[in-house]
Amino acid sequence: MSDIFTRYGDGSPTRMSKEDIRFDLEEGTRDAADRGKIPALTEAELDRLFEICTMPEKAVTVERGDEVVVSFDAGTLKLPVRAGIPMDRSTAILTHERAFCSDTMELGHVDYSYKQLKAIIHEECQAMEHIQLNTIIPVFYGAMPNLGLYTKPDGPIDNWSELLPLAKIAEAKAAQEEAVEHAVKDMVYVASRMYESGADGINFDTVGASGDADVLATLQAAQILKEKYPDIAIEFGMAGEFVLGMHGELYYDGTRLAGLYPHQQVKMAEKAGANIFGAVINTNSSMTFAWNIARAVTFVKACTEAANIPVHVNVGMGVGAIPVTNTPPVDAVSRADKALVEIGKADGL
Amino acid sequence: MSIEDIIAESRETILQCDQARAVAVAERAVAQGFDPVQVLSEGFSYGIRQMGDLFGRGEVFLPQLILSSEVMKSAVVILDAAIQGGTPQAKAKMVIATVEGDVHDIGKGIVVSLLKTQGIEVYDLGRDVPTVKIIEKALEVDANIIGTSALLTTTLMGQKKLEDELRKNGLRDKFKTMVGGAPATQRWADRIGADAYAEDAAEAVTKALALLGR
Repeated sequence: MSDIFTRYGDGSPTRMSKEDIRFDLEEGTRDAADRGKIPALTEAELDRLFEICTMPEKAVTVERGDEVVVSFDAGTLKLPVRAGIPMDRSTAILTHERAFCSDTMELGHVDYSYKQLKAIIHEECQAMEHIQLNTIIPVFYGAMPNLGLYTKPDGPIDNWSELLPLAKIAEAKAAQEEAVEHAVKDMVYVASRMYESGADGINFDTVGASGDADVLATLQAAQILKEKYPDIAIEFGMAGEFVLGMHGELYYDGTRLAGLYPHQQVKMAEKAGANIFGAVINTNSSMTFAWNIARAVTFVKACTEAANIPVHVNVGMGVGAIPVTNTPPVDAVSRADKALVEIGKADGL
Repeated sequence: MSIEDIIAESRETILQCDQARAVAVAERAVAQGFDPVQVLSEGFSYGIRQMGDLFGRGEVFLPQLILSSEVMKSAVVILDAAIQGGTPQAKAKMVIATVEGDVHDIGKGIVVSLLKTQGIEVYDLGRDVPTVKIIEKALEVDANIIGTSALLTTTLMGQKKLEDELRKNGLRDKFKTMVGGAPATQRWADRIGADAYAEDAAEAVTKALALLGR
């Protein structure tokens, strides 16, 4: 009998039988294990995940004592920009601190890429200083490496997305390697200025959005920053569950970056000096919540087991089993959070 | 050499990005009188779909995928000529674009590369393309299929807008339509009336060929 309310990955509501939910949980963990070459969830973990998926409450939460901290990406873009609430960034951060009880917050500019921030860095420094004077919670500064911005027409380098379909592979690879050099300089410059203006940490958000070169640039920038400021806190938030091989032959500390999954990505981030790792597991919008959460928990569990730094799982639209909808439904979000923390052993979200 | 051997070797040449060997296998298949359609569909095309699947799992990378599509093209030239008895086959045409307001096109680029390996003439209009421009191009080139991609829930409506505009202008039956992108699903395709949905590049090839009746 189809008696359990649940959803698909695109947020569509549906009802499923307990047998079908259990089947999708088993398929989801099997898929993650197969792709990541990691252990599948145990029967006991699947039993617990089944309980979480089938709880009758609309919203669920972790058991007392299992609470975790939260960190943000695109922090100050959420209320003023995405929700359209007319407030400045400082007010947005205070709202998070004093109304939402956020543990940390991130200051970010609407032009959310390190390259773009160079030109307005003095304004960003001023904003950070002002916010630090008014808040208690740690406030990070964040933006994306966004290597694509270094390509024509936005930048000086030939566009590898145009070169590759023309089979100009050597040229595409050379362009990516050149972009890495530019991006490292910009990330180190902006992050240094923001750190010296009082930022409690630097967030590199959506790392790998432009492929493996994007990841390499961020790792190199983090390493330089850590050498320059040994106490700086660095958060890595990834772009996808595996590093897209746009180049395919880029290495960090002897490890090829293309194709790395979260449990392998976190080791690279650690080597570069990151303090928090934001694991990403993509939501498949065609599959059910049960399938997606089993997959996400399997990847996260492997990641937290491998990690020596806290893992803050990305649980926004389209990642971490959260449906791909503008306003993710609370039934799915709360179940994903609970499962990722209780079974995946996430340190934060 | 049996047809099974030829098919197995065809697949291998794609997976190993071995252009010289692919050409040799295709020539050998034609010389030995094997059905070129079978060699293409069960051999080379199958290999390309395998490459697409491996790419989707992070086990091969974009340069290899592009290389394999180049290898495929070399084999297709030889097999196509054999299929048509030396006369080049009329190519199917597809117009593809990322919908207006959306600038994501990495995935679409991969779809384009794989579609080209199947002998489809692809007109890639790029990203952030207004619906009217997509329809104009499809009419101009007399396309068989219009494919649209959207990565954002906010731009997904661009795919519905295309269906609506085609219907409004009495053009809906003139083209087959395909949708893709992270928030798109088969349910979405059914809801807006698109002819096909593809989850990834490999499936896009399969679905496009099915729409073309191949």
